[in-house]
Amino acid sequence: MSGQIELTHCLLLGALLFVCGAVCMATKRNAIGVLMGVELVLNGATVNLVAFAHFNPAFAVEGQVFALFVIVMAAAEAAIALAIVLNFYNNHMTVDVDTAEELKG
Amino acid sequence: MTLQTFLFYVTALLTGVSALGVVVTQNIVRAATWLLFTLAGVAGIFFLLREEFVGATQLLVYVGGTLVLVVFGVMLTAQGPFINMKTSAAEWAISTAVGLLLYTVLALSVLASGPLATAPEGTGEITSASQLGLSLLGVKTGSINSYLLPFEIVSVHLLVVLIGAAYLARAKRRRGAAS
Amino acid sequence: MLDFENRPGFLFVIATLLPLASFVLLLLAGGLRNALRSCREESLGHNLYTMLGGDIPPRWPAYIATGAIALAFVLCLAGFITYTTEHAANEARHEELHEKIHELQHARLPAAERQKEIRAANEEIHRLEARWEGDIDWIRLFVGSASDQDRGTALKVGFRIDSLSAVMFVMVTLIASLIHLFSIGYMADEGQKMVEDHQVHGEQGHLHRRGRFGRFFMYLSLFCFSMLNLVLADNLFQIFVSWELVGICSYLLIGFYYERQSASNASNKAFITNRIGDAGFIIGLLIVWTFIGTFNFQSIFRQVRAPVEDAHEEPLKFAGDFVRLDPVNPNAAEVRGDGEHDALAPGERTLYFDKKGSEVLLWPRVLGHFHKEEVEGASIDVKKSPEKGDFGSMPYWMLVVAGLGIFLGCVGKSAQFPLQVWLPDAMEGPTPVSALIHAATMVAAGVYLVGRCYPLFTPEVRLVIAYTGAITLFVAATIAIVMRDIKKVLAYSTVSQLGYMMLALGVGGWVAGLFHLVTHAFFKALLFLGSGSVIHGCHHEQDMMKMGGLYPKMKITALTMLMGVLAISGVPGFSGWYSKDAVLASCLGFGVSHPEHMLLFLLPLVTAGITTFYMFRMWFLTFAGKPKDDHVHEHAHESPWVMTVPLIVLGFFSVTVAWGSPFSKEFYSGHFPFLNAESSALEHQIHHSQPEAVTQEFGLKQVDEKAKEVHGLAGNLALAMVVLGLTFAALLYYYQVLDPEEAKQQFPRVHAFLESKWYFDEVYSALLVRPAMVVAHWCKAVDGRGIDTVVDGSASTVVKVSRWDGLFDNRVIDGAVNLVADVCYGIGARLRGLQTGYLRSYVLFLVLAAVAIFALLSYYVASATAG
Repeated sequence: MSGQIELTHCLLLGALLFVCGAVCMATKRNAIGVLMGVELVLNGATVNLVAFAHFNPAFAVEGQVFALFVIVMAAAEAAIALAIVLNFYNNHMTVDVDTAEELKG
Repeated sequence: MTLQTFLFYVTALLTGVSALGVVVTQNIVRAATWLLFTLAGVAGIFFLLREEFVGATQLLVYVGGTLVLVVFGVMLTAQGPFINMKTSAAEWAISTAVGLLLYTVLALSVLASGPLATAPEGTGEITSASQLGLSLLGVKTGSINSYLLPFEIVSVHLLVVLIGAAYLARAKRRRGAAS
Repeated sequence: MLDFENRPGFLFVIATLLPLASFVLLLLAGGLRNALRSCREESLGHNLYTMLGGDIPPRWPAYIATGAIALAFVLCLAGFITYTTEHAANEARHEELHEKIHELQHARLPAAERQKEIRAANEEIHRLEARWEGDIDWIRLFVGSASDQDRGTALKVGFRIDSLSAVMFVMVTLIASLIHLFSIGYMADEGQKMVEDHQVHGEQGHLHRRGRFGRFFMYLSLFCFSMLNLVLADNLFQIFVSWELVGICSYLLIGFYYERQSASNASNKAFITNRIGDAGFIIGLLIVWTFIGTFNFQSIFRQVRAPVEDAHEEPLKFAGDFVRLDPVNPNAAEVRGDGEHDALAPGERTLYFDKKGSEVLLWPRVLGHFHKEEVEGASIDVKKSPEKGDFGSMPYWMLVVAGLGIFLGCVGKSAQFPLQVWLPDAMEGPTPVSALIHAATMVAAGVYLVGRCYPLFTPEVRLVIAYTGAITLFVAATIAIVMRDIKKVLAYSTVSQLGYMMLALGVGGWVAGLFHLVTHAFFKALLFLGSGSVIHGCHHEQDMMKMGGLYPKMKITALTMLMGVLAISGVPGFSGWYSKDAVLASCLGFGVSHPEHMLLFLLPLVTAGITTFYMFRMWFLTFAGKPKDDHVHEHAHESPWVMTVPLIVLGFFSVTVAWGSPFSKEFYSGHFPFLNAESSALEHQIHHSQPEAVTQEFGLKQVDEKAKEVHGLAGNLALAMVVLGLTFAALLYYYQVLDPEEAKQQFPRVHAFLESKWYFDEVYSALLVRPAMVVAHWCKAVDGRGIDTVVDGSASTVVKVSRWDGLFDNRVIDGAVNLVADVCYGIGARLRGLQTGYLRSYVLFLVLAAVAIFALLSYYVASATAG
């Protein structure tokens, strides 16, 4: 192991965050939990972008810009999602996403 | 191993453990706390990678904004103590298996393509926040492209989202509880 | 346009159109009234309905129709006077102008001046002709390939007045006006709100129906228009159209009481019988159109008859005659080796003059400059589709067939043998109709048409006409002897008199035939109206055996009818005498020149006696002697003035119409003034329009000359027959020296034969109606058994097939469709389990999909980098 931070490790971290987010979405019944999973997934992606920006000079600015966009998008998404969750709560008196099974075949 | 590297690994470990904590915990408040750590860790990673602007934004927007939003959500939708929202063990098992599978695949592909992207650290131009800002404002400096239009779109998008969120979350009479 | 000063012919055109206007007006008013009947309760409808007469048939249709025809009469009279006064002058001027043109063509004048003079003269000729004729295109058929645009392409509507049509116009309008007037009285019953028809028995007694006063006059107006148009027409097609209109009017009027079975049958009979004749007429028209290419009379005659002179006024050998040709040279031996006809244009043929040739020469429509020698040489070149100035030809037999066809039409309309059966039945119509249509005018149309088409008839056709007329006049007269119904007697006498006219035309007495037509129209109308008056007075009793002794009760009717009887018998001084003498003279003239056809004189001679006999029988039975039926006699009364005035007027004309004009010198040439049978002014009037063919054709000229020689003899013989007939009638029915019953018993067979009208109806029934019925039954059987079986069979087959088809549809096709649906449903039902509705499971699937995509991508990337 060299003394440098390696890209691979950054990517592995991003992957870990992504997988954690996905599993979180898959296992949580609480709508807010699901929302947290989404945040994790987005963070994984951000980590990847920043890593690329750091290690590849060609992407120095692009990576950061996109990371910023993702962060902003995540914020927007969180706002919307929370609004939806509140509405859901108003309608179902719970935040259990299993109660929203109208799409069941 | 330099201090930077060491700090990186420590931060990465903390971040990963916090992320796993978010997954594992059953209490939503705890999950929010673990998430806070994760996001902060990611911000730390950014600082360590010397992308200070992104890191700062991460802290400001996520830790300061999004997470507060999440906590508000948790409080607004507080559940009674007897409501069980646990997932069955079988589902846990399946989810974990699938998660591990995905991680394996990702890790393998990262490792397989590892040498491709290994560039010596610090060889690249150090991009300052001002450069980034200029790029977002549409000023082209050197080889750096302008991102004015996406920036504008994102701004407008944010505005729309805020309005939409306000609309969706506004107080409404509950269905079925008429008069 | 209506410049009566320069085109007095329009007087007649207007006179023709007046009754049409009246018809249209009455039709609209009547239609409106009928249409309003349903909404007469509402205010506006009620007002209009009342304005148009309300429930009670109004009187004004009669006044409109009568006014129209009376006005037409006035116009015709004006036209007639104009025509007569200027006729001679015009003729002379015409002749003069022709002479002038001829001279100018050879005059030594500068060319320009000469042309100008000629043009001026031609224009004047044109103006003179246009005074009394004119036409407009009605339908123009554009035949793309026709080389000659004038031939066979235009149907025209036109008019041409000559002295015959002028006389006819005055006659028709005068009689029609009087009959309109008479009808106002006779049809008064129809003016009630409800009319009871005693001859129709329904379930609740007699039939009650609405009065049809207006309708009667509407039909009369239409009839008058048709008849006048027929007389006016200058071409065959227009005549044909009017002909059919006249036929339909007759149909409508005979069937006026159409609730009566007998009337409805009679109208059908009349119409169908006429159709037979019209079929022949159409054949004639088609032949004329095909070969001669025009319907205009003058144009037809110019083509079939030779001109009188050539361009240098040299008389032609066959002036006014048919010129017959043959493709085979009769004098082949002489001309053999003459190769000069080799260069013939396509469509051109050389024909040779031959008196019995199979073709007849068609002269150019516009006869150019030609020499006598050119057309009297041994041969002539004719074209297949001749241009304006070319000679053409048509098969002679075709011309004969055309003549016979047209004559067949006349046979139908004029009720000649063998189509005479409809006329007596037509007496089912109201009596004024019988007088107008079936005595004075419509049946005259046939005779008129024969007269009009006269130059078209070949000698063979004329002989057929003569024999048809002779047979008809004899048969009808014999039947008239035994008829008991007063109208039937008159009907048969009409048929008989029409036979006289046809006979006269057939033997070449063109003037005699048409002369008799005019005089007969007057006295026959008189007789019919008289009988109508009698019938009206006796409350619709028509059987003469129940009348008798009516003279004191109906003096005017009796006396006027006596005038008619005397006229039709041909008593000297009365109009019938002039015309009948002329007819008999023509017959005798023909008989003398063709002794083998002497029968054509003997039959009418004998019939002259018979005519007198049955006419006087009728008069004696009706008016003289003792009343045979008290009931009838008691209620008999004289008719109102609207009916007697026409009788008196017609009586006056029956006597005087044929008298000589006191201003002519013939008037004083006889033993007594006006007692010269040849001095009739009317006859001379008609003589003016005699076709050139009659004066020029050799055979006809001969008959005409002979007729003049034997006029006195024929007249005397006829007079003898009249006296004989009168004597018999007086002995039998007035003095009753002989008992008619006895005669009946002595000759039962003869009587039965005559009573049954020579069994014509029975023979037709057996020969035509029955076979037609049998054939119809066969057809019905074929239809019912054969065709229906096939149709039913095919229908049931189709049903069966469709049942199988339905099974196939239900089982196979629907099955297939259902199968697909079922499979889809099954798959869907199984897949449904995947849709848990839980967010988690969707995320899981997403992740799995991501894994799969990554695996695939890495595999391909690996293989790509490795490769």
